Amino acid sequence: MMDIQIPYDPATNPLNNNEWSFPLLEIIHIVGFAIAIGSIFMVDLRLIGIGMKRQLSSQLAKDLGPWTLGGLAAVLMSGPLIFSSDPNLYLNNSSFRFKIGALLIAILYQYTLHRKVALSDPTPAVGALVGIVSVALWVSVVAGGLFIAFA
Amino acid sequence: MTALRESALVYPIVMTGHLTGMALFGGMIAITDMRLLGWAMRSSSITDVVEQLRIWKRIGFVMVVGCGALLLGSKAEMYYYNPFYWAKMTLLLLVGVHALAFRSIYGNTAALDNAPRVPSKAKVAACLSLLIWIGLVTAGRSIAYWDIPENLMPIYGTNGPITHHVRP
Repeated sequence: MMDIQIPYDPATNPLNNNEWSFPLLEIIHIVGFAIAIGSIFMVDLRLIGIGMKRQLSSQLAKDLGPWTLGGLAAVLMSGPLIFSSDPNLYLNNSSFRFKIGALLIAILYQYTLHRKVALSDPTPAVGALVGIVSVALWVSVVAGGLFIAFA
Repeated sequence: MTALRESALVYPIVMTGHLTGMALFGGMIAITDMRLLGWAMRSSSITDVVEQLRIWKRIGFVMVVGCGALLLGSKAEMYYYNPFYWAKMTLLLLVGVHALAFRSIYGNTAALDNAPRVPSKAKVAACLSLLIWIGLVTAGRSIAYWDIPENLMPIYGTNGPITHHVRP
């Protein structure tokens, strides 16, 4: 694995100089991803055909869109701050690299194919495929995040 | 339990289950609460939101509690001494108390949909629910930041697998 070192001394980062800011950011990160991924899962359940069947996937995608975006905003603001507490540690962590890769793919997927299909109220087969890929992508982002501390 | 404590892979996999369950359980509870407050999913009835999410919240709850119990079992003594763990369990108990106390709200959503506006009791239920779940996340995360008492250190070390944040 390529070694990356950026000239940055985390000791000067305010996050490393008090006890509450790092856990607070983690809490914001967790609440944000629960709302973002929870709302994405609701659309996915409909696409797969196993939940929220009284609603159309287009209706769910439109109604939940702002909540997905709000959750992602919380995650994407707290995440880089957490990263800043020790950039070289994260950059050289293979799980972190995996997570960022999975996250970029998941966000790209969410706002291109997933969105287009959900808004078009697809046939059950297409919906199921698109929904299952979405669940798999987001679970892999969560798994990648957790493995940072272990690998 | 020993396998869980000693395996490099199993522990984070169980934690992934814990957090994925949280996205189902916590995320959907938050959306339901926001619906009761009139902030989310207003084009769907409260009945549709509450009834259709019920089974998925239950699945999420079983995932969170099941994986949580496995994590607890792997280091039970450590949690036993951790005050944030007990704060979290108290909040978990409050989830049950909340469900019982507001049975009349969640069990009769048709009345909420027929009312000209959502009754304040339902909005109070939603606000309390949001507070409890943010409290649960806060207490849960804080567990990792509580230092192990001196007399337990020889058993667990100072940086056991409870601490999954990466800072030294």
